[in-house]
Amino acid sequence: MKILVIDYGLGNQRSVVNAIRLLGVDVLVSQRLEDLSGVDRIVLPGVGAFGDGITNLRALGWDRVLNKAVFEQHIPFLGICLGMQMLATVGTEHGFHDGLNWLAGRVDRLTPESDTLRVPHIGWNDVAFKDADPMYKGVPPSSCFYFVHSFVFKPEAQEVISGTFNYGGKWVASLRHNNIWATQFHPEKSQRAGLQVLRNFLASC
Amino acid sequence: MKYCTKCVYPGVAATPLTFDENGVCSGCRVAAQVTTLDWDKRLQMLKDLVKPYRSNSNYDIIIGVSGGKDSYFQTHVATKVLGLKPLLVTYHGNNYLPEGEYNLQRMREVFDCDHIIFRPSVDVLIKLNRIGFKLQGDMNLQNHCGIMTVPMQMAVRFKVPLVLWGEKGFMDLGGMYSYNDFVEYTAKGRKEHAMRGYDWYDFTDAGLEKLEHPELKEGLADKDLLWGQYPSDDEIDTVGVRGIHLSFYVRWDANAHVKLVKDLYDWQPVRKPFERTFRNFSNLDDMHENGIHDYLKFVKLGYGRGSDHSCKDIRGRYMTREEGVEMVRKYDHVKPRRDLERWLQYVSMTEDEFDAVCDTFRDPRVWWIKNSEWWKDNIWGEPSSYGPVANPVMLEKFNKWGRVQ
Amino acid sequence: MLKKRLIPVLLLQNGLLVRSELFKIHQIIGNPIIEVQRFNEWNVDELIYLDITCEGAYDLRREDHKIKNLSEPLAILNAVSETCFMPLTWGGRIRTLEDMRVRFANGADKIAINTIAFDRPSIITEAARAFGSQAVVVSMDAKRVQDNRLEIYVAGGRRATGLRPSEWARQVESFGAGEILLQSIDHDGTGEGYDVDLIAEVASSVRIPVIACSGVGQFEHYADGIHAGASAAAAANIWHFKDLADRQGKRAMARAGIEVRQNPESGR
Repeated sequence: MKILVIDYGLGNQRSVVNAIRLLGVDVLVSQRLEDLSGVDRIVLPGVGAFGDGITNLRALGWDRVLNKAVFEQHIPFLGICLGMQMLATVGTEHGFHDGLNWLAGRVDRLTPESDTLRVPHIGWNDVAFKDADPMYKGVPPSSCFYFVHSFVFKPEAQEVISGTFNYGGKWVASLRHNNIWATQFHPEKSQRAGLQVLRNFLASC
Repeated sequence: MKYCTKCVYPGVAATPLTFDENGVCSGCRVAAQVTTLDWDKRLQMLKDLVKPYRSNSNYDIIIGVSGGKDSYFQTHVATKVLGLKPLLVTYHGNNYLPEGEYNLQRMREVFDCDHIIFRPSVDVLIKLNRIGFKLQGDMNLQNHCGIMTVPMQMAVRFKVPLVLWGEKGFMDLGGMYSYNDFVEYTAKGRKEHAMRGYDWYDFTDAGLEKLEHPELKEGLADKDLLWGQYPSDDEIDTVGVRGIHLSFYVRWDANAHVKLVKDLYDWQPVRKPFERTFRNFSNLDDMHENGIHDYLKFVKLGYGRGSDHSCKDIRGRYMTREEGVEMVRKYDHVKPRRDLERWLQYVSMTEDEFDAVCDTFRDPRVWWIKNSEWWKDNIWGEPSSYGPVANPVMLEKFNKWGRVQ
Repeated sequence: MLKKRLIPVLLLQNGLLVRSELFKIHQIIGNPIIEVQRFNEWNVDELIYLDITCEGAYDLRREDHKIKNLSEPLAILNAVSETCFMPLTWGGRIRTLEDMRVRFANGADKIAINTIAFDRPSIITEAARAFGSQAVVVSMDAKRVQDNRLEIYVAGGRRATGLRPSEWARQVESFGAGEILLQSIDHDGTGEGYDVDLIAEVASSVRIPVIACSGVGQFEHYADGIHAGASAAAAANIWHFKDLADRQGKRAMARAGIEVRQNPESGR
């Protein structure tokens, strides 16, 4: 199995790579579009601001080739944190930015109802998910995952939501639509539960 | 090389040291804390600590003992001062001096205690001696492993949670902690400091293969090293095993302890003087601790028991620094014939092989090579030579590091 | 709900782990890599590494140790992140955005800045812009001066700033910091507990999470920091002095009514 982790100049791919390697699968990290050919899985990690992320992706040409790989070749794709947020129609961090628009919706600042709840949302929170969802197969109910973000994805279609977290309101923890998987949390940092999600992604068809 | 201005420790030491702005090492600084502490309060803390561990149906405490002066002292405190019923546990590494063996065997009589002496297979010990020496420059690896593991295993097996240790190693010499830390026994401490990052699984054939040292394989398998396998976190947690160090609660003074255990229990020091130290009451449980094991410390780091024991005595005000320097001069460099000869026969090695392996552990921060001889700084004055380079490979290495003159 | 976090802080000086007391005394504890291996076995929520070296020389001291010499902070970060499967914050001696970028590339999830944040506050904003504020931690150290007043110090406790903790906290939040790591110089290494007044002052003046540090000597101290308003309880020394410090720490927090992440399998 060939996995490609996309390096688009933002943040730290090392943790993702380490986690996938721990699962016994080899991983290629690349900036080069050519390396997309023949891969079985694509991972788009991300740490940083929406605007910079999208700009970099487009500048390197990833948006075009990924569109083809994901929608025409149906290669399973996993977006993590910023990698999930960029799939939206628009992001509002530091101004308005067009996302990839793979899943209709917007990315806005997290606004918990209570004043006592702090932002950024940093730490371990329970995720409520649908048992039957392949993303969470084998994950014990109300497992904790590691989040570190100030913005959340608000999708138009509720059906694509596969997991939610509670933080002064119910927010999107993960999305899944056909071969597109996306998590707000960092599965590579979420120990056992996170590794199971990654395992499920690698096993998905 | 920087030396402590109060004791005789060098800056590069087996127990990591730091120096303050007056050049005084952390070991001296921590030792100086001793006179400022309220030892009555600490003894009371100890009495309060052991209270919940007293049992009607089981041993109250486990004491890891070697039969040495500290073992006698700890058992004395546990039985006479705290009134506890201990289970004494010994790991026997097969290197006892006759006086040490005598002191060990008597413990159950003089203290009226139950005593388990765990004696591993000599064949396995010999193999570990060789592996330890070649891999880490420490033939006493088996000793560190056994002593640090067997008492805790027994605690789990016998379901006795409280384990009594003596001094906190590295603190008494190098001042690694503060007396206010009340450091307890940790698995991490065992692995990192006692075992230098290695563990039992590194010494099996599979382990050595993984470490890329297949040439050191001795045919050892997991089942040969059962005594070295530290209990899992869950096992420790289930019994609630907790290792405390007596030295945080009772003032530690080797010279005073020796007097006490001799007077009360007729504890025997060694009759023949050691070759590498002036003390006659330390490390009777293992002839190599003051012998070739310590000689390896000199080979690696340029100092030995002469320095260690002097530092302790300087800090305890039994000796001046000048006297300490004389001890260093007299003892640190000595290659001990008696136990070297025993060991070479024990593990079937020649002295030439021994010397060649020794050289591979010379630390370039301490040693340099001049005229194919090993040179280093001395605390009393000019650097000097300490014998020929036995291993030609080291000439190349030291050259690469810029340490050949 | 979001759990409160338990975070070990590891102090590095010249490539070695040290224990700290009053920001002045540092004794060497050991090898940074072995610690991480141990923490991976434990149930801790994040790890913070602070490089408090002054001079430039790193050395891992022992050739006979299994893990040999690593003489650059980045090499240490690299080796740590290779074995570390939990969120990792790296701080100390970070002066520029490039310093931050390099640390992210070498495995850090968040970076922590202290003195430079005070000397050039715009760097907080630049960093938040480039990496996202959630990846930018501002570390601040407080000391009690005359009349028991609290004042922020920088440069390892050697330079006074004239600022009250609440003032400085508000400022860093407005500049874009994502979190505050709060240390008390007076409580450091004493084992006597957190400076809860300090924590309360800072936590009540900002809306970003505050990580309490300095002073923990017993597991019961963690709850004091959380009750004073911290989102995470951090400690340095205790992790070296007590075994199973993760389970015991979390149990103590749970007993005090604090919601913490526990391992469902072993109930720890």
